[in-house]
Order: sequence, then C-alpha cells, then structure tokens
Amino acid sequence: MKSLTRGHLKAGVSSVRSAKLRSFWTMLGIIIGVTSVIMVVAIGEGIKQQISGQIHHMGKDLITVRPAQLHGSTGLSSNGANLLSGLNISGSLSEKDVTTVSRSKGVTASAPLTITTGSIKSEGVTYDKGFVIGTSEDLPSLLNQSVEFGAFITYNDVGSNVAVVGQKVARDLFNEDVPLGRSFTFQGQKFIVRGIFNKFNTTPLSEQADFNNAIFIPNDVAESISKNTAPTYEILVKANDGQTAQVASSIESALKKSHGGQTNFSVVEGNKGVGSSDDILNLLTRLIAGVAAISLLVGGIGIMNVMLVSVAERMHEIGIRKAVGATNRQILSQFMIEATVLSLAGGVIGIALSFFLNLMLRLTTDLKPVISWPVVIIATGVSLLVGIIFGSVPALKAARKDPIEALRSE
Amino acid sequence: MALIELKDVSKLYGFGDATTLALDEVNLTIEKGEFVAVMGPSGCGKSTLMNVIGLLDRPSHGTYSLSDKAVARLRPNNAAKIRRDTIGFIFQSFNLLPRLTALENVALPLTYKGLSVQKRLKRASQMLDRVGIQSREYFLPSQLSGGQAQCAAIARALVNNPKLIIADEPTGNLDSESSRLVMELLADIHKMGNTILFVTHNPELTRYATRVVYMHDGSIIHDEKTTIGRVAITARRALYSQPQTNEEDDLAGVSSLMKALPSKTPKRKKRASKVAAKPVKRHKKVIAARSKKS
Repeated sequence: MKSLTRGHLKAGVSSVRSAKLRSFWTMLGIIIGVTSVIMVVAIGEGIKQQISGQIHHMGKDLITVRPAQLHGSTGLSSNGANLLSGLNISGSLSEKDVTTVSRSKGVTASAPLTITTGSIKSEGVTYDKGFVIGTSEDLPSLLNQSVEFGAFITYNDVGSNVAVVGQKVARDLFNEDVPLGRSFTFQGQKFIVRGIFNKFNTTPLSEQADFNNAIFIPNDVAESISKNTAPTYEILVKANDGQTAQVASSIESALKKSHGGQTNFSVVEGNKGVGSSDDILNLLTRLIAGVAAISLLVGGIGIMNVMLVSVAERMHEIGIRKAVGATNRQILSQFMIEATVLSLAGGVIGIALSFFLNLMLRLTTDLKPVISWPVVIIATGVSLLVGIIFGSVPALKAARKDPIEALRSE
Repeated sequence: MALIELKDVSKLYGFGDATTLALDEVNLTIEKGEFVAVMGPSGCGKSTLMNVIGLLDRPSHGTYSLSDKAVARLRPNNAAKIRRDTIGFIFQSFNLLPRLTALENVALPLTYKGLSVQKRLKRASQMLDRVGIQSREYFLPSQLSGGQAQCAAIARALVNNPKLIIADEPTGNLDSESSRLVMELLADIHKMGNTILFVTHNPELTRYATRVVYMHDGSIIHDEKTTIGRVAITARRALYSQPQTNEEDDLAGVSSLMKALPSKTPKRKKRASKVAAKPVKRHKKVIAARSKKS
C-alpha cells in the first residue's frame, strides 16, 4: 500500500508537471490566497511590533497629558505613539497647565506640544507638508531622540526665533541635509535653524505623527505668534524612576485643582494605550485576513474546475487503469493526491512569494512585516484542506465512472 | 472444469423504445487452454461479449461463472480485483498510457496489486524481454511502432500471470507483418497453457485458433473446433467463396459470412421464432416491440 501511494504521488506530480501552464493557473488562486493571508497578518504584526517598539523607545515611564476626557475604548486616539492624533480631541491645555504639570511632584522632565498653523517659506520655497510645534528643551530626552546636527532649543532660547527641524523638512524645504544657520519665514517671523533631529522612526498607519516633517520652536514663541490661540494638545512628562503611577495621579490631582475640580483632561501612562490599539489592529488584521481567506476558497473552486476538466480529459486513461485492475478507491486516491499536490504546491509557492514580498517591503517601504510561523502553518494546512475538499468531487466522479464508458471515450 | 461458463447471458442497452439487445441469451463454455477466435460483423455483440467475459460489464440477465465462481453480479471493486489478478486485456488501439514509458505501462497492473517499485519494474522488464522489446523499455508509447506498442500491451496483459487473456481485435490497427508478429506471440502464450479469447475480422487469423465462434445480432450462430495452422472451414468459405450478395447486406458487411454458414437457415432465426411463440417473461417488452416492427 505504501508503494502504491508513492506511485500515485509520482503520477500526481508528473501530471501536474505535464500540464505546467494549466497547473499554474489552477494554483494561482491558492497562491494569491495564501500569500495575501500571510502578508496581511505579517504586516499587521509588523505594525504592532513597530508601535510597541516605539513606545519602548520613548520609555515606558512616559506620561501623556491630553485635553478633554478620553474614553478608554477609543483605542487608537489614546495610542501613546500616535502623538498627533490628539488633534481630533476638542479643547486644549493652557500655558498654565504646562506650568502646573512641570511643577508637579516627581516630574523630572516635561514638554508641551503646541501646534501652530501657517505656511512656511524659505527663499521662495513653500513647505506645506510639515507643521510647526512649540515645545520646550526637554523634548529630546522625552522622545528619546537625539539631535544629529546642531543643538536643541535650550532654556536660554525662550523668546528667540530658533528652530530645530526634522530630516524631511531639511531636505524638502532647504534641499540639503544640514541646513544649519539657514532661515525660513513663518507667520511673518524669521526663524533660524538651530539643529536637525536624527531620523525619527516612523510608524505606518500614523502618518500624521511623522516628526520628520516637524519644525520645533520654543513654546512661548509659538504662543506669542498665535496670540495664545495655538492649542497645546499634549504635554509629555517623564517621572522619576518607578514612580510613573504616583506621578500620574499627582499630576491629575494638581490639574483638577487648577481646573476648578473639572476633569476635562486626561493623564495616560505611556504603555496603557498600547493594549487597546493592539486590540483594534488585531481585529483589523483578522478581518482582512478573513477576506483574504475567501480567495483561498475561490482558489479551491478553481482547483475543482480544473480537476473536473482533467478528469473529463483523462476519461480514457481512467478506463485503461480500471481495465487493468484499478479499484474505485485507487482511482479516487490518485485524483485526490493530484488535487492535493496541486493545492499544496500552490501553498508552498504562496509562502515563498510572501517571504519574497516581505523582503521587498522591508527594503522599499517603512513597513516591517513579521511573518508568523503559525500563520504559515495554518495557511499550508488550509491549502491542503482545500485540495482535499475540492479535489474530492472530481475524484469521486472519476472513481465512479463505468469502465466501458471510460474506455470508449477518447 | 470449464474456465468460463455463460448461461443465458443477455445484455440490454438503453431504455424503453431505444432498448437494444446486444447479447441475446448467449450460452458459451470455454475450457482452460482453449484459443478461441470470435468472428462476426460489426455490431453483432462481439465486444459486448468480451466486456462481459472480461468483467468490465455486467450482464443484464443470465449467469456467468469464471473458474466455478459466480461473477455476474459482482461489485465493481471485486470485479476490479478479479480483472487485476486473473484477466489480461489487449485492445485494438493498444490503450497504453501515453505519459508512461513502456516499462511503466507494463508495470501498471502490478501497481494496483501493491508491489514495491523495484519488484514491479523488474517483473515488467522480464515481461518486455519475453515479448521481445526489452530494448524499448524507456520509450514512450508515441515512440513505439504499432507492433511494438501492441507487444508492450501484451506484456502488460501477461504481467500478472492471468488465467485468461482477452484480446479485442488485437491486430485491427496493425499491418500484416506486425499482425503476424502479434499473433505468433499470442500463439506462444497459448502454448504455455493460457486461455486466450480474441475477436477478429480477419478469417486468416483463425489459423491460430483452436475454436471459432461466429456471432450475429447478439447470438452465437456457429461454433466450430478447428486445428491450429488451418483457417477455419466456415471462415475459409467466407474468405474464398465468391460472394453472391445484395447491396444491403454488403453495406452491413454481413453477406459473405452469412452465405458461408453451413446451414442455409442460421440457428438464430429458428430460435428467435421459438422465443416469439413463447416469450420469456423478462424479454417480453423487447420481443413485443420487435414483433410489432416485423
């Protein structure tokens, strides 16, 4: 029996090889299905890891103070890494709040993020992809990001028109990598570039938060330019080691006091938002993977159709095999194995393709997909299953064929 | 002990008005070691008889015992096993699998028996040696001449040491030289003690047979023993007599054989009238339909 199966396996492989083009078209459905399932899950997993990596990079002891009430379930907007998404929330924090926060007990560093609107011009080039953020000297240590050239805003710079820019701004606005000492105009005021940040790790799906597009100026300058209308949408706070929770609650009570007992703000500890964003990402990934899995089903139907054609074409062969003594079960297993070989080969090609795509995405985009082995194994299993399920219909048809009729057909 | 025993075997095709009687209560006993030629015009039921004897088809009525075992009502899988172990088929169009080499084709029945690859290829190779085309082992059927292909097909039929070999017009697609080769081979196999049943249109080939059976319209109309090396008497008449025919019979390819039959009134007609007078229950409809027509 073992040798029989091997013989069928060989026959199956050779029949797949003998009709290469047709086999390829058959497998295409499975290939696309397997590849898309693996890639979707891999990209989702990659983004998840990137986000948590960024959180980790910024430090888990980071506390974020935001205006208005945050609902835990709004997931994405409470995402610690998705810094600018706080823009969606109405209301803002005042300069007084910034001071209150910085003076709270246990706070080692704090920086407001105040967004200021207006066009940026330099020597005739207008830059509108970026944004201007008012902040304080603690920002680099809070973001765990160093300045590559020049220096960041210092305490002494309060009130002066200096700026530190992200790398994209440097390239797009000034068309050079190190535009130190060059100037641009913003809201009718002239700013001089003081430093250039190292490249920020960008996270896909949160394009807005790309600080490589940002220009940082002293917070009070930002406030004065906008005549105190610029919203401080976030205050980043670093607490003493191991005291994040206590510091967060002390900030909360201090702010509550200054707001007259109202809690129209929220204090989020750095890694708390990650959980809910993970949930949403997982849900999305599963949803898209489910859609991709439908293509596996379609691929299975494709296999069934081609196998039906193949059975019809090889009716004579079936007749011969039956005449020399093949039982129905032996014919059945021959065609089942053939369908399984087809779909499994499709699965393997799909896996290979997704590894290739993974490499290409890593090389050419910011995405860093992570292929998870359980998904690869499941995809292989599913393609095997698809072959068995959809191969059984044509195989049964072949097995039940009357030998005389089969021999007569040419 | 007869190898094959058919009793009142009938085979009907189709339903209702379109029913055709391919075999009409055929009785045939073939002993072990016989070399039987079956002759008759196209559509007389020769192939149906071969299929029934070869267990490819089940008779509609009647009993069939092969080596004293009732096989007329076997399940398909059991029939397949008997085909595999005791019957070898040779077809007019060779019926080799085009994608397999000659060797693999010959090994095919052994595959279904579950032999190991080495064993079956070795046996197949020996068998190809026996039919004289071992040098063509790794050729595809498309690369073989007709004679070689039929030799490979014979090797395939022999590889399981079957008790019975059924050949449906084995020389039908071959030139005379290859035909002779193939028939000599079958004669050789017969000498080794195998029972062979073959269908032919060529009266010359009855030379190889020990017995000739003539069929017409689903019945056996004549059955004669003959000596090896001589063309059967009836067949010879068909071959050499100047046929006095009419056009209608000629078109059907019946006339020369019918004229050559020993009795002027073939047996079948007699029997048919007898049946018509006292119809067998199960054939009632068919016969009623027939008598209506006439």
